[in-house]
Amino acid sequence: MEYFLHLLIFICFYAILAQSLNLTVGKSGLISLAHAGFYGIGAYTTAILSIKLGFQFWINLPVAMILCGLIAVIVSLIALRTVNDYFIICTLGIQVIVFSIMNNWVELTKGPLGIPGIPSINIFGLLIDEKIPFLILTFLIVVLIWFVLKNIYNSGFGKILVALSEDEIYTQSIGKNVYMVKIISFTISAIFASIPGVLYAHYVTYINPTSFTVNESIFILSIVIIGGLGNISGSFFASAFMVLLPEALRFVGMPDSIAANMRQIIYGLILVVVMMTGRNGIKELFAKK
Amino acid sequence: MIIYIIITFSLYLLISQSFSLIFYPTKLFHLSHAILITCGAYFVFLFNNIYSMPNYLSVILAIIFTITIGIVFEVFIYKKMRLKKIPSLSYFIASLGLYIIFQNLISIYFGDDSKIINSSDISVGHEILGSYITSIQIAIVVISVSLFILTNIFLHFTTLGKSIRAVASNSELCVIYGVNTNKILLLATAIGSTFACIAGILFALDTKMTPTFGFNLLLYGVVAMIIGGVGSTRGLVLGSLLVASVQQLSAYYIDTKWIDAVTYIILIIFLVWKPLGFSGKKLKKVEV
Repeated sequence: MEYFLHLLIFICFYAILAQSLNLTVGKSGLISLAHAGFYGIGAYTTAILSIKLGFQFWINLPVAMILCGLIAVIVSLIALRTVNDYFIICTLGIQVIVFSIMNNWVELTKGPLGIPGIPSINIFGLLIDEKIPFLILTFLIVVLIWFVLKNIYNSGFGKILVALSEDEIYTQSIGKNVYMVKIISFTISAIFASIPGVLYAHYVTYINPTSFTVNESIFILSIVIIGGLGNISGSFFASAFMVLLPEALRFVGMPDSIAANMRQIIYGLILVVVMMTGRNGIKELFAKK
Repeated sequence: MIIYIIITFSLYLLISQSFSLIFYPTKLFHLSHAILITCGAYFVFLFNNIYSMPNYLSVILAIIFTITIGIVFEVFIYKKMRLKKIPSLSYFIASLGLYIIFQNLISIYFGDDSKIINSSDISVGHEILGSYITSIQIAIVVISVSLFILTNIFLHFTTLGKSIRAVASNSELCVIYGVNTNKILLLATAIGSTFACIAGILFALDTKMTPTFGFNLLLYGVVAMIIGGVGSTRGLVLGSLLVASVQQLSAYYIDTKWIDAVTYIILIIFLVWKPLGFSGKKLKKVEV
């Protein structure tokens, strides 16, 4: 039961990550491979603040969000000078730089050893160190972010994003500032990505750089693509699918050493098939057209 | 110092050349190219160390198998996607998926630990410019540079080579003038795959290999290509030279662990300072 709750919490983390990435990938058509970087920045900010300065969750969260937002603005100002594939390579570069800092700046991040002993969440004297209250808190945040994103999608800004992903030149020609809109959507998505980072650090109480690699970014991107571009609830189901997949493989009796690779092969295969057939997400793949 | 820059430069030149040979005509940013680099090295390992075949035979077999994989990707996946007129970003994701599949297949079969290809000639090394280098490192320089020159002669002075460049610049016009674009794309894929395979083998002979080494190498090649400016031969040389020197210098003066970060910082500085690369060719989403 404890383990099941643990899996549910991770489904919530990935749901937040996938939902926020969906804003850039699904709506504005910018594929970013830097998402695990922002997730990691959130986690490391929390770890360093709470251990060195003794800060609480309710201070860490806004600090991490503001820091991620600032970094995202700078990054997108640079990365958005390029288009399409070059933009992806640029975000990949940013991901690699963030990972190198986590892995190599030993004085600040303790490098590959990671940072242990991060305290549990303590909101005004209410200690959340059990799994069930933590799950409730995380789930509330998932719902909150879902609500915010839904409002963004339905707002005027969201409509510009849709227009942007369909025809960029036309959107520009009717007087919309495309560059600005892209920067805003990238920044919002990065800010939301830092939230699961903060929660993750408080939850597992020990972080190290291996949780925030390029592969993690690819994993989050696959969740978005499997769930369907621009489909918020799809992202939620896809993250449940991806988190539970290794458990299912273990259930059918596959040894652990192969199961990790097998999971990657399965999601690689899904990516190729979804892209080859040109459908949007796995749901449409099985629906008859 | 300088000699190591030259060795790294030659390797990156070969990789960026092999990548751009496929990238310019097909316009697809195939990360699956990394798998061709890795496969080349692992095929040699398979034939040479496990089936104990002679060196030259295993290299030839590895090249043949790698070309086959490259062509299978092109014919069964990218060509089908091209026919369906799927937006270009989907190719990127599909190729990423292919990379993930094959990299994990290699991991399952060979294991994640680093492997070394048996090379029969373990030599003391030759002393050039005050530093010892092995025969393989000389081979890297000679093979890469000669392949680069030969490719450019091929691209500029033969009909087939000119057709590749024609398809790269405007494929619709080529169809109108009766160039069989599919054949040309296959040819470009085959040459690019061969070069990728050779680069992978040379790298693996020089140091050691893990299932993910191709990805890093490819990304350095791609960074060199972007820095140099997409679509220019001179750019490839300048880009590879810059990436190689920056990496070797940072490894020497700072620390080897910062190589990745420094490479991408150079890319970002370039995107800010000179977003079009050395060549000045514009990156645009749509031509108006």
